[in-house]
Amino acid sequence: MKTGLRQTRSLGGNIAVYLVLILFGAFFAFPLIFAINHAFKPLNEIFLFPPRLFVQQPTMDNFYDLFTIMSRSRITFSRYIFNTVFITAAGTFAHIIIASMGAYVVSKYNFPGSKLFFKIVIITLLFSPHVTAIPNFLIMTELRWVDTYLAVIVPAFAMPIGFFLLKQFMDTVPMTLIEAAKIDGAKELSIFWRIVMPTIKPAWLTVMVFSVQNLWNARATNFIFSEELKTLPYALGQIIGGGVQRAGVGAAVTMFIMIVPLVVFISAQSNIIETMANSGIKE
Amino acid sequence: MSENKNVGDAVLSVPSAESPPPQKNQKQPKKRGFLAQKYHNATFATKNAIAGYLFISPFILGFLVFMFLPILESLRMVFSDVVPDMENSKYAMDFVGLENLRRVFFTDPEFNRLLTEELLKMVFTVPAIIVFSFFVALIINQKFKGRGFVRSVFFLPVILSAGVMLGLETSSALLNEYRDLIQESNALTSGITDVLEELLLSGGMMDDFLYYILQIVNQIYNIALTSGMQIIIFLSGLQTISPSMYEASKIEGATAWESFWKITFPMISSLILVNVVYSVIDYFVRSDNTVMTKVTNEISKMDYGFSSAMAWAYFLIVIVVVGILAGIISRRVYYYE
Repeated sequence: MKTGLRQTRSLGGNIAVYLVLILFGAFFAFPLIFAINHAFKPLNEIFLFPPRLFVQQPTMDNFYDLFTIMSRSRITFSRYIFNTVFITAAGTFAHIIIASMGAYVVSKYNFPGSKLFFKIVIITLLFSPHVTAIPNFLIMTELRWVDTYLAVIVPAFAMPIGFFLLKQFMDTVPMTLIEAAKIDGAKELSIFWRIVMPTIKPAWLTVMVFSVQNLWNARATNFIFSEELKTLPYALGQIIGGGVQRAGVGAAVTMFIMIVPLVVFISAQSNIIETMANSGIKE
Repeated sequence: MSENKNVGDAVLSVPSAESPPPQKNQKQPKKRGFLAQKYHNATFATKNAIAGYLFISPFILGFLVFMFLPILESLRMVFSDVVPDMENSKYAMDFVGLENLRRVFFTDPEFNRLLTEELLKMVFTVPAIIVFSFFVALIINQKFKGRGFVRSVFFLPVILSAGVMLGLETSSALLNEYRDLIQESNALTSGITDVLEELLLSGGMMDDFLYYILQIVNQIYNIALTSGMQIIIFLSGLQTISPSMYEASKIEGATAWESFWKITFPMISSLILVNVVYSVIDYFVRSDNTVMTKVTNEISKMDYGFSSAMAWAYFLIVIVVVGILAGIISRRVYYYE
């Protein structure tokens, strides 16, 4: 809204907006506040009944414990972190490129079979991973991808949900923009890369947030068996598996896992906001 | 062409006087390979189709191998008695016709009841999610102080509902104990108000009126937790509406109310369709959906034929629901050209 269009709202309206925001915001933030507070609670407060939301005597003990356990593990902890970061980064990057290319042509090129393909994609949205788990494993065996990163990364390329979202956003890109570029002699790839992708930046940032969140939490225990290839959520799950005495460490772990997708979103959201003010087309 | 770094500039700028005369366009017989010549002679539609297939082929390939084939395989299981052979990580299938489906609908005591319940609940939940997320998106799309912070807060459920807690390893019995403990004290699964109730009851300030209020709040909380993604989708959609439209309508004398119904609403209508489809699907495949839980349970009993049949019956019904809803809504969607 750099054009100088100002929202005129009364003082009462402002107060109402803030009230609504605070009310709902409190709902949304509750689990996070709880998890963070939990992570800093000493053990006797964690098991306190009735439970308290806010920590009374904050302590770093849980994090020290987590650190001690991590440094004692057979595989160095940085290895787990690397695995998860690698899977998340590679999977998300390739997913955005491949899905946007597909979504772009389905939305704008109208070639034979494109409509049908999109319908099939929507239908497959309905199939939860549980249903396809067994056949999927057999396919991975055939490809000899079991126990490699590929088994986790490559299926993420073709996640139908990202394709579906991107296609819907591509529909809002005016055809005139693409035609104008074509008339000026731009090649197909450069239209896609230099016009369409910047225009729908909010869309692929949304997909990025979604995909990071999905892969970051991937435990991938059904495809990866070597300890040195296993992911962070798996390792942290094992730590919690120690039982009740690890409850404090568990709280620290939970907070640790939540932080990264949150940071990704916070850094993406400022971009989601301001990029799409104008697609450059004047009617 | 190549002088213009930004293609967007090239669209708008008139060729300047200094630009070199277009010598390259003068007919020079170019040497082309056979295929290239064919491509050169093809019609616009064919070229379009070729480019289209090239662009989409990576996605189609991945999609076929990792989504479509497994789904077909599970469809085959619906009509078979599946005998797993653990040692060779294979399974044998004997064709049994509709036996599995018959078991789902007529023998199984729970499936029909659970399905009806979930469908009824969906009818109330999905519209509430759509209205709520649209409302929130409208609010946080406005300009106010701390907007970025508020948006991040509203995204929290998407991260949390992915089940950082719920999704942790299920193998250990001790872990289950721990999780029960979390669930008792935590609002993630049992609802925020249980904790509040507990606190208020112990303080002796609980009465019927308060109880009803808490019930309503509890519902809102559940809806809020499931609508994070929808808010993001609406929000990104709101960003795509050009401010010049509002400007123009304001100059013409439209009130905020009018420009909402005449600009915002039609422009975002395609995303309402997206969100309805997304919400319905998300509602049905969510892991706390009772039918989903049942399907997962049956899978863990290694009864693949029966569980596949149940999953397929379930998904076909959901597809019909999505199809009907999408059909109704897409008639009213406005596409901006």
